[in-house]
Amino acid sequence: MAVKGMNLGSVCYLVLYFVAAVLAGRDFYKILGVSKSASVRDIKKAYRKLALQLHPDRNPDDPTAADKFADLGSAYEVLSDDEKRKQYDAYGEDGLKEGHHGSHNDIFSSFFGDFGFMFGGNRQGQQDRNIPRGNDIVLDLEVTLEEVYSGNFVEVVRNKPVAKEAPGKRKCNCRQEMRTTQLGPGRFQMTQEVVCDECPNIKLVNEERTLEVEIEQGVRDEMEYPFIGEGEPHIDGEPGDLRFRIKVMKHPVFERRGDDLYTNVTISLVEALVGFEMDITHLDGHTVHIERDKITKPGARLWKKGEGLPNFDNNNIRGSLIVSFDIEFPQTQLDDNQKEGVRGILKQSSVQKVYNGLQGY
Amino acid sequence: MELIYTLRVLIKSILFVILWSKCEGRESEFNYVTCGSLVKLLNTRHNVRLHSHDVKYGSGSGQQSVTGVESADDANSYWRIRGKPDGTCQRGVPIQCGQAVRITHMTTGRNLHTHHFSSPLSNNQEVSAFGENGEGDDLDVWRVQCDGSIWEREEAVRFKHVGTDAFLSVTGEQYGNPIQGQKEVHGMGIANQNNYWKAMEGVFILPSQEPLRHNHEEL
Repeated sequence: MAVKGMNLGSVCYLVLYFVAAVLAGRDFYKILGVSKSASVRDIKKAYRKLALQLHPDRNPDDPTAADKFADLGSAYEVLSDDEKRKQYDAYGEDGLKEGHHGSHNDIFSSFFGDFGFMFGGNRQGQQDRNIPRGNDIVLDLEVTLEEVYSGNFVEVVRNKPVAKEAPGKRKCNCRQEMRTTQLGPGRFQMTQEVVCDECPNIKLVNEERTLEVEIEQGVRDEMEYPFIGEGEPHIDGEPGDLRFRIKVMKHPVFERRGDDLYTNVTISLVEALVGFEMDITHLDGHTVHIERDKITKPGARLWKKGEGLPNFDNNNIRGSLIVSFDIEFPQTQLDDNQKEGVRGILKQSSVQKVYNGLQGY
Repeated sequence: MELIYTLRVLIKSILFVILWSKCEGRESEFNYVTCGSLVKLLNTRHNVRLHSHDVKYGSGSGQQSVTGVESADDANSYWRIRGKPDGTCQRGVPIQCGQAVRITHMTTGRNLHTHHFSSPLSNNQEVSAFGENGEGDDLDVWRVQCDGSIWEREEAVRFKHVGTDAFLSVTGEQYGNPIQGQKEVHGMGIANQNNYWKAMEGVFILPSQEPLRHNHEEL
């Protein structure tokens, strides 16, 4: 009886142990919402989107917000590093060797900058207009149409002067004031004087860090990605911001209009008359198949729905690809026999309509 | 016993090497100036940063002036390194020694430029900021001269103008009002200690991966 009880007991413990072991490690892929085969870029993109949603300042009513946010940071830290990801895939969270290298704050600020965020575009502390701010830096970031289609991440190294405390004092808030001095009974003199306060001394030290700029799918020209606090410092106040301004470059094959893409194809006169089949290579390498068996007139347009750019606000909606055809006529002149042949084949009577083509007649 | 001892030492040293290499961490090891990067350029001899602003020369060409300033926290000292107008400079690719670049002033969008006008203080060749929105003319192109094969951030380089062969230099002359204390930047024909510049603060763009990949969703 005792033996049986002990067996049952040990089985229970064993089951409990396995359950605990399974529950002990977090599922980082699930936390980020990506598949196990996700690329580093997918992981960065998922982190950036979720970090904005899950930040505790954004969820003041949720008591689990801080935990969820911490989980997100750990998940990104492991899955964005090749070595750690391999260890995690093989052994689970418990199989990870060393502790954290960087704090979650470091990870967060490499995507968004130092001082909190710009929910609604307002900086905290902006209510007090008296705080002087350093200059903003605007960097034009040139992106290709391929990057607008598929998205991309650009890593930059920001080397900036940072205000650090130094020994001694310095003069600050210098201003002009009027002083009244008495020269004698009933005689006064007003003079202007420069009056300064005393502040702790500051020196500028250069510091460096890596920032991640996301080129989101469907991003439009002139859109800006701000990094709070990464601009120029101000000795008496806060640093300005670093803003990346997207500049979409021209493309040799595709022209963008909104979410639609335009392209031109030149076909031969024979193809225009008898039909043709062709493939157009798209921005990410996939092919768009075109098949015509009817006559294609010069200036004819083909609409391919869903083959345009992803919409910035909803990546699942895509614009269209509009293909315009122009015809290349044969280069050599026809001899009399060929001319007869053409007349015979085409059976089109002579059309010689004279009209004003520029005024819409 | 000896064998075991040497084996243990070997294992320990291997572990040490592995741990040391792993601890590189995520610090930036990127040491090059790349196409599209924003930099402040420090003249190593006179300790001033290349600078421009919305103040025009009172003599010479009357174009926007270019000076050297001592402060390290002025946004008007940022310049963007770009390729020639033919578009051969790809974002994030390190600049080669000998490569021709344009140097565009961040806040005013004008290019570092020089021409056959005299500089106001020293009578050398005037260096100005010219153009609109980053587009100027043929005299906006400079060649980066350095010792190795790539422009390294730690290295002081020279800028030789394509067209007049002048080197971007500072010799110490100082302006009075309204740009009190700023030093004259000009072009000089001789290569010497006055024409060395070093990339200091800035935003250095790293090379990106190609975004090309097969789309999987719809077939």
